[in-house]
Amino acid sequence: MAMLVSGCMGPSSTHTQHVLRLRLAGEPSVLNPLLITDTGSSAVASQVFSGLVRFNEHLQLVPDLATHWVISDGGKRLTFYLRRNVTWHDGHPFTSRDVLFTFHTLLDPRTNTVRRSDYMVNGKPIRFSAPDAHTVVVTLPQPFAPLLYRMGMEIIPAHRLQGKDINTDAFNRHPIGTGPFQFDTWRPNHYVKLKANPHYHGGKPRLKTLLFRIIPEYNVAKSALIKGDIDILEGVSPLDIPAVTRRPPLRVVTYDEWLYSYMGFNLKNPHLSNPLVRRAMVHAVDRTVMVKAVLYGHGRVAHVPISPLSWAYPRQVTPISFDPNTSLSLLKQAGYVRRQDGWWYKDNRRLAFTVLVSKGGKAGPKNAEIMQRYFKSVGIQLTIQQMEWQAFLKVITGPDDPKAFDLCILSWSLSPDPDAYSIWHSSQYPKGFNFVGYRNQRVDQLIESGRLVNDQATRARIYHDAFRLIAQDTPYLFLYYPRTVTAVNRRLTGLSQPGPAGLLVNIEQVDTK
Amino acid sequence: MIRRVIQRLVSGIGALLVTIVLSFFLIHLAPGDPVTTFIDPGMSVADIERVKQNLGLDRPLYEQLWRWGGQLLQGNWGVSTTSHQPVTTVLADRVLPTLLLTCSTLGCILILTLILGVVSAYWAGSWVDRGIALVTTVGLAIPSFWLGIVLIGWVSVRWNLLPASGYADPMLPVGSWEWTGSIAQHLALPLLTGTLGGLAMLTRYYRHGIRKEMGSLYLLAAQARGLPRHRVLAHALKNASLPLVTLLGMELPGLLAGSYMIESVFAWPGLGQLGVNAAFSRDYPVLMGILMVSTLLIVVGNALSDWLGQWVDPRVRRSS
Repeated sequence: MAMLVSGCMGPSSTHTQHVLRLRLAGEPSVLNPLLITDTGSSAVASQVFSGLVRFNEHLQLVPDLATHWVISDGGKRLTFYLRRNVTWHDGHPFTSRDVLFTFHTLLDPRTNTVRRSDYMVNGKPIRFSAPDAHTVVVTLPQPFAPLLYRMGMEIIPAHRLQGKDINTDAFNRHPIGTGPFQFDTWRPNHYVKLKANPHYHGGKPRLKTLLFRIIPEYNVAKSALIKGDIDILEGVSPLDIPAVTRRPPLRVVTYDEWLYSYMGFNLKNPHLSNPLVRRAMVHAVDRTVMVKAVLYGHGRVAHVPISPLSWAYPRQVTPISFDPNTSLSLLKQAGYVRRQDGWWYKDNRRLAFTVLVSKGGKAGPKNAEIMQRYFKSVGIQLTIQQMEWQAFLKVITGPDDPKAFDLCILSWSLSPDPDAYSIWHSSQYPKGFNFVGYRNQRVDQLIESGRLVNDQATRARIYHDAFRLIAQDTPYLFLYYPRTVTAVNRRLTGLSQPGPAGLLVNIEQVDTK
Repeated sequence: MIRRVIQRLVSGIGALLVTIVLSFFLIHLAPGDPVTTFIDPGMSVADIERVKQNLGLDRPLYEQLWRWGGQLLQGNWGVSTTSHQPVTTVLADRVLPTLLLTCSTLGCILILTLILGVVSAYWAGSWVDRGIALVTTVGLAIPSFWLGIVLIGWVSVRWNLLPASGYADPMLPVGSWEWTGSIAQHLALPLLTGTLGGLAMLTRYYRHGIRKEMGSLYLLAAQARGLPRHRVLAHALKNASLPLVTLLGMELPGLLAGSYMIESVFAWPGLGQLGVNAAFSRDYPVLMGILMVSTLLIVVGNALSDWLGQWVDPRVRRSS
């Protein structure tokens, strides 16, 4: 009986040949690139749509719907030359009209998009015009280097959406794009199925079908991987690596993620406004131990707020080493006195903090517990407060000044452009993502000037200086850059070189054995 | 009779209204909103506020309730803030899988508990009885979440007998026989998980009810008249199952709540999974929709079981 059942159960080869099966951890919300705010939706949409430019494996910009582009007028004018003979999935030709429609819709205040201000410079909208069907001219009020990276915004079809309500149109669940795959079916909370677009401008995909299975629970996704029901599983727990690699059809690849984790200091806190105290706290923690204990070695210690893979990463940074003795002398220097009870005091106030951690992730609470021990050993008291994610967000990104937290543990995932305005510019406090309240005039100037030049070497120098200054000021205790562990079924061929962009950068070359 | 039906209807609608208004405020009291479910350094605060305004989330709570209620009276349940679909469509997509899972679980529980209850009452005190008590209690004590994952690990991964998760093989043509069979295969494990968790209570009720009836004077008389034991049991069973009609109505909310967990574990595309997602992303219109449907089901379930109780038991009818 068991044989019989399993005989008809096993994935039959006719069903899975030329079919790539991926896992989504959550139901996509909407398949319109302008409205997307979740990773599940963007994973699907990125296969259906194309932008003017895209990123390669090394996160460099390469042509997509545009064949090339020219920057002129001191960086205030970008001209994109569009690829010819590209058609939408319904056969309609793709032209500059679609590009204009996309960006005009993005700039329309009625569109429920959170990307609108990406296409504004100092409160003024960027102008998009089309001298002919295959040229798009972007005119800026002033030079704005990060814009080029934002031109990867996926283009939506004007002929399908003109005059419709972009927020609610049926298109959002039955999209038409110019990407390698075209939309087929979406069964809510079950799967999204895409089929190959034979007319894809990057070459006809070798796969026939791309299937996104929605499996929220990690352990169940792991079972599906082992069983052969999905081909790729991202974010495998390092503890599961032996269990996965024991199965002959599976292999594991690891690669750097484009993000860093940190503990933010609320700089408005009377203790934490003193840089000596912050430095003492950084010296107190052995972050190599955290990489081992929390990431099981899959990551490296961070010292600056940018990924080491970026061209804007400053090579010469003096790391703040693990040195508890220096912590003690710094605290003494800051005017603190260690009392009989083992804690440090100043003006009768104990050096004690509460760290906010989101309940959702596993890493946050673990990090907090390890730091609690390190801080205790140098006489700093740390209380851990776990919060539900939305409650956590409300505390740190609410409009209050000062904000109701001392320390918080978070990660920033970065955009490939190093522009650090939203996190480090002083104008982004109290409303904005500079919730620690960081303010350094020199850094403000550098961040502003980094937006004005397009030359990468010049920009690199600017950001090297900015990030070094930020690292010196220690507004964060930088923790680490994690690496992703991804399990892959060996039946797949044509995967791209593992990197922060994932394994499917050249999806049209991917196939099954 | 008609008066009683009207009374029932009025109290049902009252319960529905109170639940709706209370949960509307409760849901909105939780910190956060549908726009700020994540933070991304690429997003601007101005954009977030503009989208909130577009969605009417910047308005006072009573005004939002007023507007939402007004739309509801016109048959408009609102639009999901995450998928931008009408709530009625979102719910309709998920109702069938949930009903399939809940009803089949309920069916299995009813049949199995009847058998187990009779067996353990008949051989009360024996090792069979104790075995049944042990198994059903363990089933009750094990969290369905964990049981589900263990079952997947053994039945699906190790022995490769059943699919691990999902609803049907996505590569099969929808509506075909193969597809229907695939749904049945996918249903097996969540059904088993839900059933194992729900056996204990009803089995105990059956066992206790039958034992109590067996000790009653009329059955003692029947036994004295020489009626065979299985005939006596049949009489006892009939009267013992009376309270179960009421219990059934009470099981319904539990089953619905339980399906939230089970659906999440087995990636079953029903209301439960939708509810969990909607709660995390603060999708107020969808949450309210689910709450209304669940409340309605529970109110109707209770009314039905009351009515059934009256129908089978004349004493209830007279006393009310």
